[in-house]
Amino acid sequence: MDLFLTYTILGLVLGSVYAIAASGLVLTYTTSGIFNFAHGAQAMLAAFLYWQFKVAWGMPTLVAFVLVVCVIGPLLGIVLYNVLMKGLRDVEEVTKVVVTVAVLLGMVALSQWIWDPTQARKMDMLFGSSTSIDVFGVVVRYHELLCVVSAIALAVALRLVFTRTRLGVTMRAVVDDPDLLRLNGYNPERIAMSSWALGSGLAAFAGVLVTPVAGGSLEANTLTLLVIDTFAAAMFGRLRSIPRTFACAIALGLVVTYAGGYAPTQWDWVSNFKAALPMVVLFLVLLVLPQDRLRGTSQTRTRERARVPSVRQAAVWGLAFVAIMYLILQVASPIMVGPLIAALVFAVIALSLVPLTGYAGEINLAPLSFGAIGVIVAFHTGIVGTGLAARLNWVGIVAGTIVTALVGGLVALPALRLRGLYLALGTMAFGGIVSTLVIKEIQPRHWFGLDIALFPAGILVVPPPKIGPLDMAKESTFLMTLAVLFAVLGIGIVALRNTGYGRRLAAMKDSPAATAMLGQSLVKLKLSVFMLSAGIAGLGGILMASTAGSVSAENFLIVVSLSLVMLTVVGGVSHVSGALFGGVMVGLVFTLISGTFSGLAIEHPEFESLFGSFAHLFAIAVALMGIGVNQNPTGVVHQICESYRPLRNARPVLYAGGAVAAGVYVLNYVGVYGDWWLAILMFCGVLLLPIVGRIWMPERMMTPAELAEHEARRTPPPELMGLDQPLSDTERFELDLLLGLPPRPLPLQEFAEELEQLTGKDEVHAPA
Amino acid sequence: MTITAPAAHATAVVAPPILELIDVRASYGPIEVLHGVDLIVRAGQVVALLGPNGGGKSTTVKVAAGLLPATSGEVRYAGRPVEGIAAQDAASLGVCTIPEGRGIFPNLSVRENLWLATGTGTSRARVEEAAYRRFPILADRRNQLAGSMSGGEQQMLALSRALTTDPAVLLLDELSMGLAPMIVSQMYDTVAQLVEEGISVLVAEQFARTVLPIADVAAVMLHGRIAAVGSPAEIDADLSTTYLGG
Repeated sequence: MDLFLTYTILGLVLGSVYAIAASGLVLTYTTSGIFNFAHGAQAMLAAFLYWQFKVAWGMPTLVAFVLVVCVIGPLLGIVLYNVLMKGLRDVEEVTKVVVTVAVLLGMVALSQWIWDPTQARKMDMLFGSSTSIDVFGVVVRYHELLCVVSAIALAVALRLVFTRTRLGVTMRAVVDDPDLLRLNGYNPERIAMSSWALGSGLAAFAGVLVTPVAGGSLEANTLTLLVIDTFAAAMFGRLRSIPRTFACAIALGLVVTYAGGYAPTQWDWVSNFKAALPMVVLFLVLLVLPQDRLRGTSQTRTRERARVPSVRQAAVWGLAFVAIMYLILQVASPIMVGPLIAALVFAVIALSLVPLTGYAGEINLAPLSFGAIGVIVAFHTGIVGTGLAARLNWVGIVAGTIVTALVGGLVALPALRLRGLYLALGTMAFGGIVSTLVIKEIQPRHWFGLDIALFPAGILVVPPPKIGPLDMAKESTFLMTLAVLFAVLGIGIVALRNTGYGRRLAAMKDSPAATAMLGQSLVKLKLSVFMLSAGIAGLGGILMASTAGSVSAENFLIVVSLSLVMLTVVGGVSHVSGALFGGVMVGLVFTLISGTFSGLAIEHPEFESLFGSFAHLFAIAVALMGIGVNQNPTGVVHQICESYRPLRNARPVLYAGGAVAAGVYVLNYVGVYGDWWLAILMFCGVLLLPIVGRIWMPERMMTPAELAEHEARRTPPPELMGLDQPLSDTERFELDLLLGLPPRPLPLQEFAEELEQLTGKDEVHAPA
Repeated sequence: MTITAPAAHATAVVAPPILELIDVRASYGPIEVLHGVDLIVRAGQVVALLGPNGGGKSTTVKVAAGLLPATSGEVRYAGRPVEGIAAQDAASLGVCTIPEGRGIFPNLSVRENLWLATGTGTSRARVEEAAYRRFPILADRRNQLAGSMSGGEQQMLALSRALTTDPAVLLLDELSMGLAPMIVSQMYDTVAQLVEEGISVLVAEQFARTVLPIADVAAVMLHGRIAAVGSPAEIDADLSTTYLGG
């Protein structure tokens, strides 16, 4: 009985913290329509700040607490809302998700910069762990008491605020109709801002409370994910209802504690299952949520613009891509081939997002977790030979791809009836389950008459693939095969977009209601595109594992998945080139930059901290790119392509650019400079060419309106006339007219021309 | 620049203008929908804005209420230009707007809807009391979610905001939309009473017959322009041609 009471109290404490975190999440979502994925990261930052104030700087508990929870937390919310979230009204769901995900990644990177993750930090309970009271024979620490009491107080307070105060009622009114609220004399922006301040304060509060409850060690990733566990509770409240959220949070806390406490000791999977439980609950909640009503009218115009290339254009680009990869392979130093392969492998995984997110508008936040499924299946079915002669055969690759597609279908099933955000959360839950349950299956277990471990010893050794005569043990062969594979898949996906099926996907993204009314089955469309996407991700995962040689849990971290999704959206998720951008950034640029800086740090120990800072700065800069997606939701690659469009009229510029590129390449080929210079020169050249074109041939590059503006900027304003050279007769005449003076006579010829021009103009201006 | 207020109209000459739109243009994105609208609502007047769908009536109301900024031209409240005013500031200056559809928050209770009308400084009790006095049915429904009431009751709730905030000018957009004719005439009775209390009204309405009896001036909007202005009687005669082509 005592034991039961202890577990109950521990469960209540955990549930209370969940409730505090989840209510903040619900609050910000209802008032601004943005699901804050960075909620956990905010809690994490708050915990670190509290540690800094309390432990490192020795401030009194109360001062540190008030500073973090009541000042910095809300301030952060206000800043986030004003700088980022305010501008996120008329964009697609995926852009909103990516911006908050970017904030999450940026905050994690920032915290790892400030607080070196290799150094262990411990956070004690508020009031210390020795202060306690006795409840029916169970020792309850003050901190735990504070958790429960503040959760109850919060529940009551929120209820009162929402029904009794003007701020609360207006917060609910914002959800209904922001414009009508304006007409009532309230500013919806300010109300949303207050709710973000309140929500962020609650995140900070939860962060400070949860760390000691969860063991007390401060670790950025763990803490961030800990609050993500509360998504299930928020979802159970349908992201609206605070009471339901509270109920689910408390239940979740209790179930997690009981599961850990009462499971028989021989069930070794329970500790993993306990970690996965919130994600499992999230999944179940998605299953029982009632179906969304289809609304035809709520469709708003979004800022994303995607061009659909024809299959022929795609084929040309695909060929060009393979050719460029071949040229790069000729000059790249051997150590560069590995990162290039990684780039292409990640590009294949990112490609899975193009039909799913780009075309159909559904979001998958855990593509790498699907990759993990592919890897596991391929590992168990497709390896022939041993040692260095071991190869992955086609059976493994095909089986892995197909099984991943099927698993993808299963994952999508509960969320099929729901809208984008819910599916995104479902995939995130799947990612959590994969990394806490599947990848942790390192002991052999009895599965359907076989004694195997899913993920033996926590590391899977996957040899290079060999299909028929094509042996990819040689890196250059692997690279070219991948290039061809990516090109073929890319062309295939573009071709798919150009079929009736692709158009149905696009239609579903624009208006599910209209698509359903045209007789299309939304369930079939969503399911099929999700399976297709999961299959591609599985294939990419298998290839990733075999390029890396071996994979462990670290390769499938949810943070890596989130980075890949974010960078693909930055590149442009509706375009195959966006996937390439995401893959290159994750596979190549990350490794290169951090590798280069850590190499430099070793070479020059005196600048070690400086180079270390550069590496951290880069991680934050990447997150800032994700945040910047709001400025340019269609994607970076799209933007560059648009800037090249006018160059078609200015062929000489293109030819000159091509010649310069060839020159740069040849100089590298003959060994004048190294790969870094080639990459930097090419990068600058590609970005600068359109600008060069505008300066060189403005008349061919600009639209008439732009040209007129350009000309207007060139001719000096009247007040500057005559400063650098004496006025001509015509100019003096114009100036006199402008100033309203009687014009001095012009020479007759010029006067006639001038008059003609003026009267001509007048005729244009005067309406008939 | 001509200001399309009929100087001949009896009350109009003396009363000062409350709301003026002068050569107002407005657009949704790249598409211009108002091509230079001139309109004056004088103190104590009811101006009816008539015309078929897509003529620009709702847009005109939106510009006047501050929901949509004019791309050129001028909006004046009581003679003062209010360029780029936000809707919430317009509301606190005494411009009360009931937008198209229902001007209520469906997921708030009737009471909470009324509380939102306290933005100008009246107490909750006074707001509720004024609304219940005019529409006793709302008192019975006070704790019900506003969205669960009938269309007529919802419109009563919306109108009671105008009763309680003591506005200078009331902008009504399609008050009759989706309501039974009897309810509509009841609504306009209320509007007429408000006018007697000194509120000026601009009402955009597709169904001319319901609003013309209480209007002082009527204007017909076609294709984003004011096509005709005159006394209700004159406009009534013109209307059939406007609707049936011409």
